[in-house]
Amino acid sequence: MAGLRPLLSKFGLSLSIQETSEVLGNVTGGANKGFEYDGLTQAVLQMDTGRAFGLHGGTFDISGLQIHGRNLSAENLDTLQTASGIEADRSTRLWELWYQQKFLKDERLDVKIGQQSLDQEFMVSQNALLFVNTMFGWPMLPSADLPGGGPAYPLSALGVRFRWRPTDSLTVLAGVFNGTPVSDSNGDPQMINASGLSFPLHGGALAIGELQYTYPAIGSMVYSSQSQPLSGVYKLGFWYDTEDFADQEVDNTGLSLANPESTGIPRNHHGDYAIYAVVDQMVWSDPNDEDADRTVNFFARAMGAPEEDRNLIDISTNAGFTFHEPIPHRGDDTLGIGMGYAKVSDSAADSDKDTAFFTGSYFPVRGSEEFIELTYQYQLTPWCELQPDFQYVFDPGAGILNPNSGHRVKNEVVLGVRMNVQF
Amino acid sequence: MTDISSKKSSILLVALFALTVDAAQAQIFLKNIHRHVTLASTVADNGDLNPYAVIVAPVSAGRIQKGDVLVDNFNKISNLQGTGTTILDYNPATKRTTLVAELPQHLAQCPGGVGLSTAMAMLKSGWIIVGSTPSADGTTRTKGAGGLLVLDANGHLVATWANAKINDPWGNMATVDNGSTAVLFVSMAGFDVPGPDVRDPKTGNPVIIRKATVLRIDLSIPAGRPPEITSETVIADGFGQRADRDAFLIGPTGLAIGPNNTLYVSDALANQIVMIPDAMTRPGSAGTGRTVASGGLLHRPLALTMAPNGHLLSINATNGEVVEVDPASGTQLGAQWIDADQAQSPPGNGDLFGIAITPDDKGFYYVEDDVNTLMKAIP
Repeated sequence: MAGLRPLLSKFGLSLSIQETSEVLGNVTGGANKGFEYDGLTQAVLQMDTGRAFGLHGGTFDISGLQIHGRNLSAENLDTLQTASGIEADRSTRLWELWYQQKFLKDERLDVKIGQQSLDQEFMVSQNALLFVNTMFGWPMLPSADLPGGGPAYPLSALGVRFRWRPTDSLTVLAGVFNGTPVSDSNGDPQMINASGLSFPLHGGALAIGELQYTYPAIGSMVYSSQSQPLSGVYKLGFWYDTEDFADQEVDNTGLSLANPESTGIPRNHHGDYAIYAVVDQMVWSDPNDEDADRTVNFFARAMGAPEEDRNLIDISTNAGFTFHEPIPHRGDDTLGIGMGYAKVSDSAADSDKDTAFFTGSYFPVRGSEEFIELTYQYQLTPWCELQPDFQYVFDPGAGILNPNSGHRVKNEVVLGVRMNVQF
Repeated sequence: MTDISSKKSSILLVALFALTVDAAQAQIFLKNIHRHVTLASTVADNGDLNPYAVIVAPVSAGRIQKGDVLVDNFNKISNLQGTGTTILDYNPATKRTTLVAELPQHLAQCPGGVGLSTAMAMLKSGWIIVGSTPSADGTTRTKGAGGLLVLDANGHLVATWANAKINDPWGNMATVDNGSTAVLFVSMAGFDVPGPDVRDPKTGNPVIIRKATVLRIDLSIPAGRPPEITSETVIADGFGQRADRDAFLIGPTGLAIGPNNTLYVSDALANQIVMIPDAMTRPGSAGTGRTVASGGLLHRPLALTMAPNGHLLSINATNGEVVEVDPASGTQLGAQWIDADQAQSPPGNGDLFGIAITPDDKGFYYVEDDVNTLMKAIP
């Protein structure tokens, strides 16, 4: 690497490689018990076109993923809100491939075109990114409701994204992408698009927009009579997908899908949408800390999809606090406590009732799943972080049946440790 | 006094007060700054990053045009501090960035090698003088005393100044340049500073060593030949300095020369700006000087420069603000967020360093070391 990076730099290229490895396991509850290893190697190559050939404001990006290890959530936990944000099918795959160009006076507009993973820019809570559970990144609702889980890790979709700053404190983020990251919505999307090279451009479109308010804004003044502001970011957004969405309960003749006389083909609905809000707000800054980075931050994110008939999850939220430098003079450590909530839609719950009715056997009706997470990110060296993690899941799978026991999956204690290494 | 005359007097007083407030407000340089423009990447072709010094070329010489912005890098591509060896030139007319100098990592004459700091100046004679605060592992544990490197306007090293009075030239230089002679003021922040793991048991922070100085260097500049040191005088000493894992060093950083030969110094650890009277002529040290402004909007002040209205602009280390201070009264007139990146907490924490007034006196250049860019703030 020592010789490669300077060579790339001559052409305006920068290469970053990060390995994330973790061992997580459930010591109580779940369909099975035990610990699993999983890992992710992520490589990102970027070109600054200004440095490469004098085109100011252009960035070319290509990234790849090598996903290894096993999937604890699928094998043991049966949770909706999966335990780790890097869990995915084992593969080596293209992730993103895009070009971004800045425009207008003061670069108030930039446009990104190409294969994009929306979890990198949309619905992002900066503070939530500390946590290990998947749902602090790309949220539960789009993961469950959008075709293929939406264009988010480890998937992506072709599209164009605009970012416009009408004022220093306001940003409008909007984009149109292919309605699904996979060519076929039936089956495991990560297997269908196993290498990330299928670039589907058929069917519907996913439109997404977000208004962001940032405080303090660049250029704002502070006077001696005022106290220093506690910074915050507030976001309001929506998405609309024009794909067809399967009904959660009834078939194309109006019968329950659980009815033995059902065709088994769900009723189709055209389009689906959701609205969301994200808050990141510093709530405390240690006045005695010389470095000023001993702070407590609050975050919350909520999303709702009103069309219950076509959505497994109609409400999802997460919230929590992060504490930078919880131990004095450990300025690069962060402690976090957070929670997640996912509510199964009434239509999906009705489908469970129908199954119980038509089979005449015990079949639990799903309601909601909640979890709490406590985590501590410890910087071992400038290039290595260790992160012990604790999660407790209430009503895994929103009260899903454990096929091994014939009862609901019991609450789970998930323990583990993650390591991030920068190369 | 009748009611009518009393009312008139009141109205006049209110109007006078409003005018006075307006005048005071209008005199705040930062209030006129509204745009913050990204000019260029400061990453060098060899991958050097972490821009520190920002200066404006006073003349055209060699490959440098008058008004060009010179930036140096403190880190090499591995991001170890105290290892950067490059100086870049941004030409505002062509908007192109070119390499002025890439120095060797190791120089026999420069103890510890090369790691270019915020101490950089270009003289009217075209010579560039830049400080080296070197390290082998990115911390002060392996730092050397460094030195001052003299380059011609084509980036060739022509002299290295290293002696007992020079130990890690750190902050932005103040310069009085008369052509054939010049005076440099340089803060030295490395005397006996150990590594960041040597802690003060009382505070838990790296131990503070109160040996930092401000050195006045008088130069003669023979025609066509590199500048020569005619005298060196410690005009201030006893400032606190200590290691820092993120910032490498914390010590006296910013220097700006004002009217009446007064030198202003940002004493970062004491969170204050002090003044050193008779800086051009004094024969000895004024100790740590006299406090001009302390605390308030200042949050570990770094680089200093004198705004066209005679006020000091002081870069904050621990948030993304620049603070305007009236040096005559010590009043902190206001601060502006020039880096509001919320990836840091508070926004912009640790991102800012050098600052230089634009040649038209309307704005200033600065660098953001988190994204390695040269910025321009203008009305």
